[in-house]
Amino acid sequence: MKIPFVKYSKFLLAVSAVVTLLSFAALFKWGLKPSIDFTGGSLLEISFSTARPDNTAVEAVMAELNHKNVVIQKTDNNGLILRTAFLNENEHQAVLSGLRAKFENKDNKLRENQFQTIGAAVSSQLRQRSIVAVILVVLSIVAFVAYAFRSVSYPVASWKYGVTAIIAAVHDVMLVVGVFAFLGHYNNIEVDIGFVVALLTVMGYSVQDTIVVYDRIRENLLHHRNFSFAEMVDIGLNETLMRSINTTLITLIPLVALYVLGGATIKNFALALIVGIASGAYSSIFVASPLLAYVDKWQNKK
Amino acid sequence: MAKNVKPTVTLTRSQIKWRVAWIGILLVVCALIVAPTYANYGIDWLNNKTNLGVPRLPDKGFNLGLDLQGGAHLVYQTDTSQILDKDKADSVEGVRDVIERRVRGGLGVSEPLVQTTKVGSDYRIIVELPGVTDVNTAIKMIGETPVLEFKEQNDEPARDLTKEEQKQLDDFNASATKKANEVVKQLKNGGDFATLVAKYSEDDTSKNNSGDLGFVNEKNYPEIYNWAKIHKDGEYSTTVVKSAGGLNILKKVGERQGEKEVSAAHILICYKGAQGCDNPQYNTKVEAKAKAEEIKKQATTANFAELAKQYSTDPTAKTNSGDLGKFGKGAMVPEFEKAVWDLPVGTISDAVETQFGYHVIYKKGEDFAKEYQMSRILVKTKEKSDIVPPAEQWKTTGLSGTQLKRAEVTEDTRTGQIQVSLNFDDAGSQLFADITGRNVGKPVAIFLDGQPISIPKVNEAITSGSAVISGGFTLIEAKQLAQRLNSGALPVPVDLISQQKVDATLGSDSLAKSFYAGLIGLIGVMIFMVIYYRFPGLLSVFSLVVYALLSLATFKFIGVTLTLSGIAGFILSIGMAVDTNVLVFERLKEELRTGKNLHTASEESFRRSWPSIRDGHIATLVSCVFLVWFGTGFVQGFAVTLAIGVLFSLFTAIIATRAVSRLVFKWFKEEGNCLFWGYTKHTSESANK
Repeated sequence: MKIPFVKYSKFLLAVSAVVTLLSFAALFKWGLKPSIDFTGGSLLEISFSTARPDNTAVEAVMAELNHKNVVIQKTDNNGLILRTAFLNENEHQAVLSGLRAKFENKDNKLRENQFQTIGAAVSSQLRQRSIVAVILVVLSIVAFVAYAFRSVSYPVASWKYGVTAIIAAVHDVMLVVGVFAFLGHYNNIEVDIGFVVALLTVMGYSVQDTIVVYDRIRENLLHHRNFSFAEMVDIGLNETLMRSINTTLITLIPLVALYVLGGATIKNFALALIVGIASGAYSSIFVASPLLAYVDKWQNKK
Repeated sequence: MAKNVKPTVTLTRSQIKWRVAWIGILLVVCALIVAPTYANYGIDWLNNKTNLGVPRLPDKGFNLGLDLQGGAHLVYQTDTSQILDKDKADSVEGVRDVIERRVRGGLGVSEPLVQTTKVGSDYRIIVELPGVTDVNTAIKMIGETPVLEFKEQNDEPARDLTKEEQKQLDDFNASATKKANEVVKQLKNGGDFATLVAKYSEDDTSKNNSGDLGFVNEKNYPEIYNWAKIHKDGEYSTTVVKSAGGLNILKKVGERQGEKEVSAAHILICYKGAQGCDNPQYNTKVEAKAKAEEIKKQATTANFAELAKQYSTDPTAKTNSGDLGKFGKGAMVPEFEKAVWDLPVGTISDAVETQFGYHVIYKKGEDFAKEYQMSRILVKTKEKSDIVPPAEQWKTTGLSGTQLKRAEVTEDTRTGQIQVSLNFDDAGSQLFADITGRNVGKPVAIFLDGQPISIPKVNEAITSGSAVISGGFTLIEAKQLAQRLNSGALPVPVDLISQQKVDATLGSDSLAKSFYAGLIGLIGVMIFMVIYYRFPGLLSVFSLVVYALLSLATFKFIGVTLTLSGIAGFILSIGMAVDTNVLVFERLKEELRTGKNLHTASEESFRRSWPSIRDGHIATLVSCVFLVWFGTGFVQGFAVTLAIGVLFSLFTAIIATRAVSRLVFKWFKEEGNCLFWGYTKHTSESANK
């Protein structure tokens, strides 16, 4: 059985283009909700031994202490996460004792599980570094793919392999961004440093996936010269199809375990990786390879 | 690229067996590193049975990050705006030093991590306090500006006892005396010494040995020694003997020859610069040596005392004619001791050089001190010092870091000795002149955060506002001291700009959760592989075990700090490790379908999948390199474990799985069987034709 991927590629590419455009739309409409990693601020995670107070009651205590813009989120086990502007150590202690005075009694003790503050200096550094890291990773991957395919410049120039691989990777990254823009808008999910790491990992992974397919096309090109380029792409895709599916499943199994069993801190990170890696497998088959066939077609038209 | 695909190397059967054996050994070593506890049970058991004395394996845990073990991560911004550019790095280093000492000493954190980093033009100090729960105190202690103080010797005695305290003391000692006398009385009436020890003695150590003190000498128990000198073996004391700490009722058990003691006198000629030479009469070593040699020529046993009074620069010589009395080994500096020990009795030595100058020594005699084996019953008494704490050794002078302009490392132009020079401002200079003026010949101590860091001796009053601390520093020590002094002198305010504090319970909870996630992920992958790829799937299970143990052993061995994100990186790399196997096995399936035999198909599949395995891994490694550069804890933890995982997945799939498959594929029929997917009857049929 041979699936003629290239034959349906117009349709498949159109679907991917629409999804990518939707992701861009979500990004521009809602934007991503940046966490304190990028904005600066404080995150206080507390839990109560028997029952947690209502959000409004907590907000009232915080307002008394002059902390107006507090975002309160419930976690499992009677816990609360409070996100505020930057608190210095004195303010931090004042918040804790304020909450204790109001809500603590003999049976219901407050426990501070986690406290994080990030000053403006640190968050601006993180923002800057994230941008630089993304640019550097993209450039170095293009360079690497171009280098790896340097001996196959016929019929498609080796740098074009790099560019199409990156287009597929951008497609995957945009899907993750779109999903998080959506979740940010409807579920208050924030993007933190882990999100940037997930994006860079997805990018590396997507390119790795694409390379395996391209590699097969490259190998076939060196051995058989009597097929058209589009046919070669199809052959390569079919030969690597099971590998792509299996590898993706195998990578997703531990990640899903991490998403389901891992703590709250790592959940969103795992989710970003799951979306990105699944998309990476899809895009190497349905985006990167058909695109390569198209590049060849356009070249011939000229 | 094709030229990089290596031709198949044919290995002999024994070569293959060796490779598999090496991998097996590696596996065992890694398992021992990862979980030494079980191996140690075995070693203990073996040692119990055989007396072989096999050493236990080091049982070190993984390095856990703050998010897994609880603790605090603090980032301080230093305000270096008041400091010259060239001094900035040094001052920040000085502050770092102080913070490290505060968290180590003040908070008792055993493994703090205190680092400086430079971000743009800002200097930051990162403090990691694993396991610290009381972060508020830590933050308070760190935030203080370092305190530098100059202190002088405290001559004031401790306060007197109050009337009430005196009465308490007297009452206590009176009842002790009464008790001791009671013991003496019972002993006289024929009481058994050992029984009385058990009943009355308050000396915790000797009490359990029927009062045995072992051999006593003049140094450790002078009062008991003196009593033993004039009593015979087996005698009991009929009166109470006082010693430090209480009242003794003694029994002499025996005696033996102790260490050699000599008696000697000396004449010292010191020179400027020698240790303790307060009033130098000779400016150079050469002059002093010449004088000592001249004295040696004149000296006889008869006129030695006279010469000592006349020439010796030892201040006590005027009164004791240079006599040092009896002394044992270890009482004198080594050069002096050696000279005296080697000298025949009744002779006078040549000039002997020590750190104090040149000595001419007259050895008067030598003998062996006796040591006595004693038993005792102790009744404790109290002294004034037990109630009133002894006076502070040092008292403050009012001179502190605020008056220090700067400290720097200099070199003595004459001797080339490394020293630290101090410069005070006007008020400080005045104070320093007063302090040195009233402390000539006495030490003055320099305290940093309540700890003495240097105790130089004042040679003369210093009015210039600058001072030098010398005392055998190495360059590094001197630099460190100057840094510390500067960090006290130069205010570098620090500001807490970021903190992360994780409760230990939350940490261990996260650790357990991510551990189970990893374990279940690993098992899930193994099940998938076996179901889908059948026998080769089993091989990949083996290579996954090798992979997991190798990675974990490496984390432990090179001390990778495992964080939550690091575990996530490790979990993700499981997928990548298996991917290599998937690539090879898919290839194997294809090769088998084309009708190749198992051996050729397997060799071919490893060879042909290598380029894409290599390229794919490099793409991931490239991302990792940039992530490590990123620098933040979360990101680095993830990237480091992912990178290590990716590297080892290359090793396990290409070396380990391959070696084992070469070994075990021989066990099957040439063309394979239904345990291998891709196997077709067609192969054997065509072979039969």
